Amino acid sequence: MFLQQLINGVMLGSTYSLIAIGYTLVMGLLQLLNIAHGDVFMFGAFLGLSLALLNMPLYLSLIIAMVGAGIISVLIERFCFRPLRKAHFLGPLVSTVAFGILLQNVATQIWGSEPSRFPQTTEVAQFQLGPVLISSIQIIIVVTSLLLMVGIDQFVKRTRIGRAMRATSENPQTAGLLGVDIDRVIVGTFFVSGALAGAAGVLTALVYLQIIPFIGIRQGLIGMVAMVIGGLGNLRGAMIGGLVIGIIEVMNDAYLTAGYRDMIIFGLFFLFLMFRPEGLFGTIERQS
Amino acid sequence: MSVYLEGVLALMGINILMALSVYAILTTDQLSLGNAGFMAIGAYTSAYLTVKSGVPIFPAIIIGAVAASAFGIIIGVPALRLKGMYLVMATLGFAEMVRTFFLNFEPTGGAYGFRGPSGTTLNMIYGWVLVFLVFFWLLGRSRLGRSLDAVQDDEEVARTMGLDVTLLKVGVFCLGAFIAGVAGGLYAHYMFYIESNNFNFLISAMAVLFVILGGKNTFWGAVVGAIIFSVLPETLRFMKDWRLSLYGALLVSMMIFRPSGIITKQMVRAFADQSEKILRRRND
Amino acid sequence: MLEIKNISKAFGGLRALKKVTFQVPEKQVCGLIGPNGAGKTTLFNLITGILPPTEGSIKYLGSELTRLPANEIAKMGIARTFQNIRLFATMTVMENVMVAQNFRAQATITSLVRFSSAREKRFQEEANTLLKKMGLWEKRREQSVSLAYGEQRRLEIARALALEPRLLLLDEPAAGMNEAETEDLLDRIHEIRNMGKTILLIEHDMDVVMGICDYVHVLNFGELIAQGTPSEIQANEAVIEAYLGREEG
Repeated sequence: MFLQQLINGVMLGSTYSLIAIGYTLVMGLLQLLNIAHGDVFMFGAFLGLSLALLNMPLYLSLIIAMVGAGIISVLIERFCFRPLRKAHFLGPLVSTVAFGILLQNVATQIWGSEPSRFPQTTEVAQFQLGPVLISSIQIIIVVTSLLLMVGIDQFVKRTRIGRAMRATSENPQTAGLLGVDIDRVIVGTFFVSGALAGAAGVLTALVYLQIIPFIGIRQGLIGMVAMVIGGLGNLRGAMIGGLVIGIIEVMNDAYLTAGYRDMIIFGLFFLFLMFRPEGLFGTIERQS
Repeated sequence: MSVYLEGVLALMGINILMALSVYAILTTDQLSLGNAGFMAIGAYTSAYLTVKSGVPIFPAIIIGAVAASAFGIIIGVPALRLKGMYLVMATLGFAEMVRTFFLNFEPTGGAYGFRGPSGTTLNMIYGWVLVFLVFFWLLGRSRLGRSLDAVQDDEEVARTMGLDVTLLKVGVFCLGAFIAGVAGGLYAHYMFYIESNNFNFLISAMAVLFVILGGKNTFWGAVVGAIIFSVLPETLRFMKDWRLSLYGALLVSMMIFRPSGIITKQMVRAFADQSEKILRRRND
Repeated sequence: MLEIKNISKAFGGLRALKKVTFQVPEKQVCGLIGPNGAGKTTLFNLITGILPPTEGSIKYLGSELTRLPANEIAKMGIARTFQNIRLFATMTVMENVMVAQNFRAQATITSLVRFSSAREKRFQEEANTLLKKMGLWEKRREQSVSLAYGEQRRLEIARALALEPRLLLLDEPAAGMNEAETEDLLDRIHEIRNMGKTILLIEHDMDVVMGICDYVHVLNFGELIAQGTPSEIQANEAVIEAYLGREEG
């Protein structure tokens, strides 16, 4: 039973990880929070849903949804971050809040505020592995998330663009002097962050089977918690943070009442912000 | 007055209060995206008192607001250690905690909400609005207001001038929470029914948008922003469904083209100077 | 009056100050000089409580300063100006000066209604006098940042004086000034000393240091390498080498 819940937790957590990675990439690069990120996730979910309704195979809807979400994320950069480079940090922050509201409203107008059901496009098979029952959906979710996470990890570590991203996040001026096209790196980062969120959206829709235009608020917040727990700007930390939260959530629902779930998660959020803002793996200068 | 118009004015008054609650905290460069949490505490506390304990509405609202301001201190003190993004996230987390708490708290209805509180009148709402407007007006002209300006301008230098920045920053959290608590109490006793989802992230976000649109450097900005956002839906009936998109797009544009908001400090200062001149001429 | 003992400050691996020890007697004008990066402003930051020292103690009139918050230290009578002028940009000249009075004027919640008390009038008078003395009276209603450079420096000093400090820390007050302005500054510092205040002064301009300091302490690479009267310092070999060595390197 415990093992079963653990697997469920990992599955759920991996979607949180994908969202958290998106937040942490932008945070690491610009030291700014993209509050609309949760709504990018939501839009990805709806794009995937619409495509699935058109009987498109799952992997294709996933890819297209990822691209779509990536594009929306780039739009956010274009309108909320780029023109406000020199502004007080509140500017982009508030702007993303506003953009998020815009996205929620657009989604509501297109798909309605009532829950939309995700159609069954793939056969759900169940596998018995010892004491644990795993469905093919779960396998798809975990494998896809893992592939994406390993992909992004290697991408940032090994490719030139990845190195450019890391250089820019450590010191934008030096990176610029060394010939890095900062703007390109920023746009690229937003695209990747959005694409991952979009993937998380589709996968989450597979888990819950129905979505509303406001899921971005809670899932986005959970993603933020995961980011903080892992450590702001820390990619691997975000992955682990997401898994931790997913496991906590599932364990809570299994062994305690569901009502306490968010209180525990946000309580943890608080504790980390107060006493360990650098998270498990991050490093920041403490403000005295 | 038609019931409809009364409803619009009532909500507008409450929006003004929520905007002022955000503004109060923003005077020290701290952004709270969680004032719906304070609003909820004020709402549920006062509603419980009037419905279950027979407390009259006026003291109930005050007690509710005091409870909210106690949480303002609870958030404000640790918030001192958090800068910028971290503070915003902490306020977000706080509001969500409050929301999920009331979603599960049986004595105030839990997921079924709380029915019964009543008694808010337009006069009451605008009475409170007037009280706070006078308060902020006096604050702006006082030494305390100058201290707050100094903290917002350059916190470190303010400290070397002998200002107790810690007290000021926690104090404004307390103040903002109090105002939001009043708004919550008034809201609960106007709507007759409240549930935790009435105090969600959108409420906190809209309050912030009121202030930013109206102008974050003076309290008049918060007022104007709240009024515009309350009146706009009525003038844009045909766009009713796309209202929120419009707000979003409007704010994004504002941040690009006029980040100081509609009402700027210079505007208020110029207005005040002009009025002084006119009054002086009249007296001569 | 001010006793600095074994003060060290390290930023990670960088040691900005190494066991610095000296005293500033009351009613003197002391100079703190040294090449750029010697740690002078860092020392000011330690004294005023903006940064904590890594080790050592700073005593002011017998009280230990190193654990106190910056606003407490200011209340004890230590005021400062900054190397790169840090006025309150959103306020007028008058407001900048008046804010410095706030901790004495009890700028609490009651200040919202106390507009014309006798006490308030007294503070207003003080501010007026200060502004007139510093030659800023005509511009009192102007935005602080709209002032000319020299005037801004004077405003910073006026603001520091509004704290009614006993010890005044001036961080390169003559930076960017021409000869006439520097002369003017020297006169003002004389006046401030005549008011009975103690002054600790960071400066690069040797004319200012020679012209006004009773005693000079020299820092280089975070260490105190010499102290003495201005003429002694001018002849000190270690000092000359520190400055010349820097110029060559």
